[in-house]
Amino acid sequence: MAVDERVLSALGKVAKAPIPTDRDASLFDTGVLDSFDLVDFVADLEKEFNVKVPDSDLHPSKFESLAKIATYLNTHGAA
Amino acid sequence: MSALKGFGHYVPAGVLTNDALAAEFSVTQEWILSVCGIETRRSVAADETVCDLAERAAVACLQDSGFTPDKLGAIIACTGTPHRQFPGVSAEVQKRLKAGTIPAFDIHLASISGLLGLALAHRMCEQWGPVLVVAAETMTRVMSQGPRVKETAILFGDGAGACVVAPGEGPLAIRDVQVASDATFSEALHLDFGSTLQMDGRTIIMHAVRKLARAAMELLERNNLRVDDVGLFLFHQANLRLLERLMQELKIDRTRCFLNVERYGNTSSASWLIAASEAKAAGLMRPGLKVVVAAFGAGLSWGAALLETTSA
Repeated sequence: MAVDERVLSALGKVAKAPIPTDRDASLFDTGVLDSFDLVDFVADLEKEFNVKVPDSDLHPSKFESLAKIATYLNTHGAA
Repeated sequence: MSALKGFGHYVPAGVLTNDALAAEFSVTQEWILSVCGIETRRSVAADETVCDLAERAAVACLQDSGFTPDKLGAIIACTGTPHRQFPGVSAEVQKRLKAGTIPAFDIHLASISGLLGLALAHRMCEQWGPVLVVAAETMTRVMSQGPRVKETAILFGDGAGACVVAPGEGPLAIRDVQVASDATFSEALHLDFGSTLQMDGRTIIMHAVRKLARAAMELLERNNLRVDDVGLFLFHQANLRLLERLMQELKIDRTRCFLNVERYGNTSSASWLIAASEAKAAGLMRPGLKVVVAAFGAGLSWGAALLETTSA
């Protein structure tokens, strides 16, 4: 499964609103993720992609859109 | 080796309700509860200062501890909302208690400073003698130092908590304390001179959940304990939703956590001390109980303490 599909699958577990088709749309501004969903979502991404998000990367800007999430995972050795 | 000899707390009489905040910000009470789970907060009167709160908590703590001010070896005041830059709240408390010429100083680190005060007292009381740690905050006043923001105004309340840390054993032994700071995201939570509090809630929540859970777990692991060995958790009372997420992370239920955030909101440095004082008064510190304190705040700074009730 491609990265985007797996991200969408993880996002679907916590999404509070329809996930935007625009890969650059903010998942916060569109109401998909609130602050606490974001905590769960990042934990799910770590499990799904076998990556450890270090504290230094723990910032909402890195997980704000589908495009940013895919970039992060692709550059951090997602399995 | 050191121990907590007693606790005290004071919250001002003024009550800031969700009804009032909902009207002020044109939101519903349901929205406020969904965001933070807080129902009421206490607020200082116009003529009440952070020193007044600190003094009352300190006096209550000395009564609970059985200490008189002349037996104290030092005073540490913890606050992110001092009444002036210097001398700080500690000086005023020392003066009001008539506590002689013992060292008295402030820690200005907001939410974590109560725990940092405990850590310092734990390490220094052998040299200094009994240390009064008093944490006091007038957070509601800070919220009005600039344009009021609903996301922060709904969270914070005023109050003070205190403890006495003395060398030797019991009744609540301090087994271990660890604190840490990392300034990478220091701008996510700050209070500048003459401004209102600035908080990037998403960043703070991400770090708070992770660091509070990690601090508690690391402390337990290095003491060869498991979560199930702990009878009582006293967390920094930041936000009920955050605490629920933390409980989920640690796989514990509410019955093992003392919570008062619904009544007082986030009282920053004072919050875990108020919780400890109320938990003790409620008879929850039964003999043989292991207690974990965990706090997180601006800095970013975080930490945890392991306490144990003894028969001493």
